[in-house]
Amino acid sequence: MSGEKARRLKGGALVIPALLLVILFLLAPIALIFRFSLDIYDPGKLMLGVFSPDNYVKAFSDPFYRGVLLDTARIAAVSTAVCLVLGYPVAYFISRTRSERLRGTLIVFTVLPLLMGNAVRSAAWMVVMGSKGLINAFLLVTGLAAEPVKILYTPTAVVVGLVSVLLPFAIITLQSVMDSIPQSLEEAGRSLGYSPLRTLFAVVVPLSAPGIIAAAAICFCLAMNAYATPVLIGGPSVHMMGPLVYQQIAKVTNWPFGSTLACVMMLVTLVLTIVSTTYLHRRYF
Amino acid sequence: MSAARTIYLLLVVAILAFLVAPLVVIVWASFFSDKILSFPPGGYTLDWYARAWQQPDFVAGFLMSIKIALCAMAGSLLLGVPASLAIERFRFPGRESVRQLLLAPMYVPAIVAGAAVYLYYIQFEISTEVQLAATFPGLLLAHTLVALPWTMRLICASLATTTGIAEEAAQSLGANALQTFFYVTLPIIRPGLIAAALFSFIASFSELEESLFLVGPGKTTLPIAIVNYLEWNLDSTIAAVATVQILIIGTALLVSDRYVNLGKAF
Repeated sequence: MSGEKARRLKGGALVIPALLLVILFLLAPIALIFRFSLDIYDPGKLMLGVFSPDNYVKAFSDPFYRGVLLDTARIAAVSTAVCLVLGYPVAYFISRTRSERLRGTLIVFTVLPLLMGNAVRSAAWMVVMGSKGLINAFLLVTGLAAEPVKILYTPTAVVVGLVSVLLPFAIITLQSVMDSIPQSLEEAGRSLGYSPLRTLFAVVVPLSAPGIIAAAAICFCLAMNAYATPVLIGGPSVHMMGPLVYQQIAKVTNWPFGSTLACVMMLVTLVLTIVSTTYLHRRYF
Repeated sequence: MSAARTIYLLLVVAILAFLVAPLVVIVWASFFSDKILSFPPGGYTLDWYARAWQQPDFVAGFLMSIKIALCAMAGSLLLGVPASLAIERFRFPGRESVRQLLLAPMYVPAIVAGAAVYLYYIQFEISTEVQLAATFPGLLLAHTLVALPWTMRLICASLATTTGIAEEAAQSLGANALQTFFYVTLPIIRPGLIAAALFSFIASFSELEESLFLVGPGKTTLPIAIVNYLEWNLDSTIAAVATVQILIIGTALLVSDRYVNLGKAF
């Protein structure tokens, strides 16, 4: 028996190289920026080697940085809400599609744009929303507008861009939870004389609540951490956390403050990820 | 009733179209002949592809992205396959925490990971005089981490479909650990392995945020070259470059769709 146990531990050792990579090049760096976030910036030395909460106080009390935090939260919240509203019907449709082939095709359509990468997707939205873009061309030709409307470089454009990034995540998350709701429950609702819409709200929506919460958490995290969309589609007038972290660390080299902002993002992400996974595991079926 | 159903169907189609439409538009725009990108086009041409190929930034970025994605794919398989095997086939203390930890790179925001790894590399250089920031090995380590969770998920899912009885049978017949792996386990996980390789490639090829911190001057990846170009220009050249990336990733995705259920990969 002890030989069996030794064999299992030896087998477990196969995990060590991957674990080392994650510990050395992800956990250790995160621990390092947490340490940096408590330091004080000195333009001459970069770092003073002290422990102080000053950067966190600055991030939440300085009107500019607090404004960026709030704008980021607002844009992320609006994008999340839009994703849930748009994602729900699509997820329900995919989940109730009986043909495996059609289901597969719908899922490919959903994830294909997601995996193209943020650079390409942002470029595509710039072509659609630019002053000479597709939407403006349509507005001018149909006479709906006399001159090009400014769409690109507005918060609304950022929300549209973010929704196109997040929607696939919302759809896949919701759909996986809906798959676990037995269709017989909906049939029960219908047999009680409920309309399809009432059945949806009385049966499917409450039972898919864990999926809704998980999808909301995932969307909010991804929106809050976005970089390419705010930079390319938002332009210089839309301020969000992601670009600010890049600017503080790579351009201004204020490492302690940049680390602080990164740690705030990390913390919000961590909390929401824990919330979403807890809810996802607390399924009813 | 049926009118409501039609409206519902149209809504679903419209939402999916919203996701795919921008990509269709940019592919379309890559063929416009006008000097200034505008709709509708005055004519069509393939010139922009030739022009994109004459821009050293795009060519270098393209080659760099291919190289880094292939290496990250190899790295993530070399580390991820044994790790998945350990997690799915052996009981050891802390197994579930280890699984979560190995999936963690997927949940850490890329911009945070980029900032953290960048500062870590600089700190590392100060104490050991070994440069990692702005080098290929440094970028490769980060990309391997980005790809690792995809390998873990797909290989673990693939291993979880069987209980390991086949492996036990092979070993009781006298096969050693390596023979068991190559003759029994590997054929079982082959579809998952192909999907893991392709997804690792895609994850690395499309990675933007973390790389921003880690690339050196003149050594950018394709997504970074695209973003840099977009800061000042928006023309059919960029549409052509984007189309090339769409083609590469789209091909990888459609091939992997033959091997795994894509919905399960998320």
